[in-house]
Amino acid sequence: MLELEKQLKAQPKAKKRKWLDGEGRWGLLLVSPYLVHFIVFVVGTSFASLYFSFSDYDILNPPKWTGLDNYEKLFQDSLFYRALWNTVYFTLLYVPAKTFLALLLAVALNQKLKGLKLFRMVHFLPVISSWTVIAYVADAIFNQRIGFANAVLAKFGVAPQSWLIDEGWVIPVLVVVAIWKSVGYMMIIFLAGLQGISSELYEAASIDGANAWQKFWRITVPMISGTTFLVVILNTIYSFQNFEQIFVMTGGSTEAGSTGGTNNASLVLMLLMFRQGFSFYKMGYASAIAWVLFLILLVITLIQFKLQKKWVHYD
Amino acid sequence: MKKRRLLSTIGILGLLTAVLFTGCSSQPSITEGGQLELFLGYSSDPPTKKKMEEIIAKFQTSHPNIKIKTETAPYEDFYQKLTTQIAAGTAPDIWQSDGTKVFGFAQRGAIRDITDYVTKEINKDEVNGLEFNKDADGKYWGVPQGIQVGALFYNKDLFDKAGVSYPTADWTWDDLKAAAAKLTLDANGQNADDPAFDKNSVKQFGFTFFGSSRGAFNILKAYGGGVLDPTMTKSIIDSPENKKAVEWMADGMKRRLFPNPADLKAFQSNFKVFLSGASAMQIDIYAATTAMNGAELNYDVAPLPKGPDGKRFAPVIANSWVINKKANEQKVRAAQEWITYWTTSDEAQVEWTQVGEAIPVKKSVANSDKFLTNNTKPENKKVFLDSLAFAGTIDTNAVFAEWVKVFTDNLSELFMDKYGVEEYIAKTDQGIQKVLDDFFKK
Repeated sequence: MLELEKQLKAQPKAKKRKWLDGEGRWGLLLVSPYLVHFIVFVVGTSFASLYFSFSDYDILNPPKWTGLDNYEKLFQDSLFYRALWNTVYFTLLYVPAKTFLALLLAVALNQKLKGLKLFRMVHFLPVISSWTVIAYVADAIFNQRIGFANAVLAKFGVAPQSWLIDEGWVIPVLVVVAIWKSVGYMMIIFLAGLQGISSELYEAASIDGANAWQKFWRITVPMISGTTFLVVILNTIYSFQNFEQIFVMTGGSTEAGSTGGTNNASLVLMLLMFRQGFSFYKMGYASAIAWVLFLILLVITLIQFKLQKKWVHYD
Repeated sequence: MKKRRLLSTIGILGLLTAVLFTGCSSQPSITEGGQLELFLGYSSDPPTKKKMEEIIAKFQTSHPNIKIKTETAPYEDFYQKLTTQIAAGTAPDIWQSDGTKVFGFAQRGAIRDITDYVTKEINKDEVNGLEFNKDADGKYWGVPQGIQVGALFYNKDLFDKAGVSYPTADWTWDDLKAAAAKLTLDANGQNADDPAFDKNSVKQFGFTFFGSSRGAFNILKAYGGGVLDPTMTKSIIDSPENKKAVEWMADGMKRRLFPNPADLKAFQSNFKVFLSGASAMQIDIYAATTAMNGAELNYDVAPLPKGPDGKRFAPVIANSWVINKKANEQKVRAAQEWITYWTTSDEAQVEWTQVGEAIPVKKSVANSDKFLTNNTKPENKKVFLDSLAFAGTIDTNAVFAEWVKVFTDNLSELFMDKYGVEEYIAKTDQGIQKVLDDFFKK
């Protein structure tokens, strides 16, 4: 092995191409609309927000450099920790439950069923609906006064619950609705993964006498671990960025900035950032929250990439 | 070689145009016809937009030297865009500001101090609500465009059904509560005074209040308390008067006479409790009449009740014309001409009154049939004008949204029995002072 490596290294390197010769230039030109967009609206704004996070910036007046002030304040702000915990709590419930459910649905809808397309469509329908619509549907179930959930509970003599007001219920209820809304999307990704598994593997296992459960655990799960990894990463990022749902479903007061549930029970980092930046004109502080959120997500994603060596198999 | 040069030229040109598009374009202030162009912004919905355009057209006819260019959008969008425009230096020369935002714009240096103009050119005896834009130093920051005053709205049908007499101008908050008890009904139709009343199955509430301008703020004031001191930089929450007022509210919540935050949530919108006929009374402002008339409620208004010592308070939101600090002198003068036209011309005032969105700022129009007409509900519109005598702002300042959040969030917890009155007072006093210090002690 070592020999081979040495030989490879000894080989003369391929002539390095100048990046701006004929083809490169064409390439650059063709991607330039995207590049300009990327530089101006992604890289530019990111650096701007990084700068704002070190400044006192009320949007109306130019930012004033204040060094680490915003970050110091942030790490002493009890609301930040509350929002961070709410976000983590949401993620801990959301990611495993949604990943598992999506896989379950994908396996079920990967069979040769009558009306298969209809079933797949039904599960995908909430994905393309707007959060405002979903919130109305969710309200029909979880409304304290006229909702279906309390009507069912009443049949069993259980007192009505105030699902979205109660501090203990609000996040689990939000998670249930969020999963319902988006599980179809992950199901599609899993379906694509499942269809990539060769049927020969299952046939061989059947001949060896494996039952359905064994086939699922020994073939399906390992064979789609790459897809599962992708789904877990996407779900984690999504749950950290969840804003619209919480804004729409736990808003309520007409006075500015009043969102985030009773006692901030559903205040997540994105909502805290929005409130500080756009309701309270503290764009510097909001930018600091954004960068902390980015760093947290980066670390989590890197950890997931590290861990994937232990359980993800690519053929 | 040629091809290569051509390509790089195209590339560079492409990049340049992209940069140009992101840059801002400056606007000349004099049009080709020699008119001065005034850039005016306002938030609107379709009916108010149509009416504003008509008034602007009339103004331009009588002021041929000025050409008005407008910018308008629904409320949220308008202010979001305005904020970024102020930052970029491209905001309108004059805009209609929500009454709760005037001091915020002033204290952040976005609008012009117009004390000189207001004192010299606007007659206080003719215009409603000028003093609501005056700060603690006596400076004027805006001129009212339309006035909102709070009053007690009541559902006549529910009062009739319960055999309770309508609210009067003599009511105290305790009178209101006594009536509310008779108007709060459970699923079996028992009222809250009945020993058999079931607190867990309230189907109709006596009285609804929420938020700040439609809620607790007014009750604190009538009890002789309040939230901020006159400088708007210090919390005065911790006072015996406030404690009494908060106890009055908490007691009503415990007795289930008033819907608590969970009940309000169950109605999807705070306004829906009264609008759907599930509450006999509610505090609201004049603008609410549009929705109530739309819901065909049989309702009327009375002045907000007196406190225990006879003190009265009605909340005011004076939506106002404010002038951009960066506008040049020429534009400032044009903007002032527009404001003078708006506040003094019968033409503009009568037209705007027809939208039914606000109380007219010109006193003679407000006191005329044009506003006090009996053709639309509520019958007793004069209540709004009478209430101006004891009306005040809702302690708006640069951090209004932020302190209101502390104030109302903590109230929600109190009303949901998370803690008691004493703890509410201490926690809120501390929380609001922190918000104020963060901004004013920098």
